[in-house]
Amino acid sequence: MAERAGHRGYIGARPLNGSRSPQHVQNIVIRDYARRKNLQYLLSAAEHIMPGSYMVLEDILDELPRLNGLILYSIFMLPADEARRREIYDRVLREGCDLHAAVEEITLSSREGIQAVEDILLVNKYATIL
Amino acid sequence: MMDTDFLQPDEQALAQRFIDDGFVTTRADDRNGLDRIQRRAAELAADYLKLPPSNDPYAMLDSIHARVSVDDLNGLRLHVFNGLNAEPWFRPTYFRLARSTIETIVGNELCMQRRVNLSIQLPGDSSSLLATHSDVWSGDSPFEVVVWVPLVDVQRTKSMYLLPPSLNGEMQDRMASLRSAEELYKTIKPHATFIEIPYGHVMLFNQTLMHGNRVNEEPGTRWSMNCRFKSIMSPYADKRFGEFFEPILLRPATRVGMQYKLPGGFHG
Repeated sequence: MAERAGHRGYIGARPLNGSRSPQHVQNIVIRDYARRKNLQYLLSAAEHIMPGSYMVLEDILDELPRLNGLILYSIFMLPADEARRREIYDRVLREGCDLHAAVEEITLSSREGIQAVEDILLVNKYATIL
Repeated sequence: MMDTDFLQPDEQALAQRFIDDGFVTTRADDRNGLDRIQRRAAELAADYLKLPPSNDPYAMLDSIHARVSVDDLNGLRLHVFNGLNAEPWFRPTYFRLARSTIETIVGNELCMQRRVNLSIQLPGDSSSLLATHSDVWSGDSPFEVVVWVPLVDVQRTKSMYLLPPSLNGEMQDRMASLRSAEELYKTIKPHATFIEIPYGHVMLFNQTLMHGNRVNEEPGTRWSMNCRFKSIMSPYADKRFGEFFEPILLRPATRVGMQYKLPGGFHG
């Protein structure tokens, strides 16, 4: 197997949970996370602003055979559709990679971790924090 | 009355080229300024690589792939990027490279991106490519333009590609049925044009058009800078005023207008 390059960052321009973070701040958070976790950070790709577009994420998933994994700025950048998310987890783990979310300090490196990630996303979908 | 009636013939021609082709290339307005930027970039690169200063900055930059590995490329890029942006003369000089074109295409009350970007594309390197995109898709306003300046001659895959305006809308309409940005590139590939720009020239392009780059298959390393400009009073998107853009030219009438308050105290 060819040597893998590191962890690709993933940022975006769409608001998350109704709030926004400037892209350079997202990159700072990812870079800091990578430094603390001793991961080699590769320059982030920025997802399209159009709602429902995950074309840039798909490019990163296609790149996984050459990566150790990816670092999302936030777990809430994953698609809203659960089946599509599960396809993403499958692809990441099948390629021997891991998935990180910098803001939430989440690491998904095995199938056992999937439900914990899904619990966060589902509770966030239905519960409102006042 | 058409606004073109108020423009000089050369301005009309430039504006029409920008509309029709999506870009214009011109000689740098300030060639000495461009040479100064190139020289400083080469000095910073030599500093990072612990090499003696070169008296041929063009050759130094164009052949940097012989002296740096892909693994160390981003370290080099950040060192030169930070060093250039730390120079107080750098951004005003960058603006002067294309001032006349910017003022014709955008206007003369302007804001400028706070940090000028730097790209280095080593021959054969796939680690830092920009997939097919429009800047607007990642949060830029459609009212912005990009001033793109190479520090070496660029042509074919050593340059960037752009989709012509006549095809951009049609391709955008097909986008949602495509899976990834790479698939999008394969769709537009027959129509994308790699823009040839000799050193000493600058390009100003419409960043709402699809563009990107591919693996550099030419023998030399590409060094290019890019920076966005927009009319200060035009709409902003996710790249906000203050955090991403800062004003560089604000005219007295606008300052007066922003400070004016109508007389108050009426109680009728």
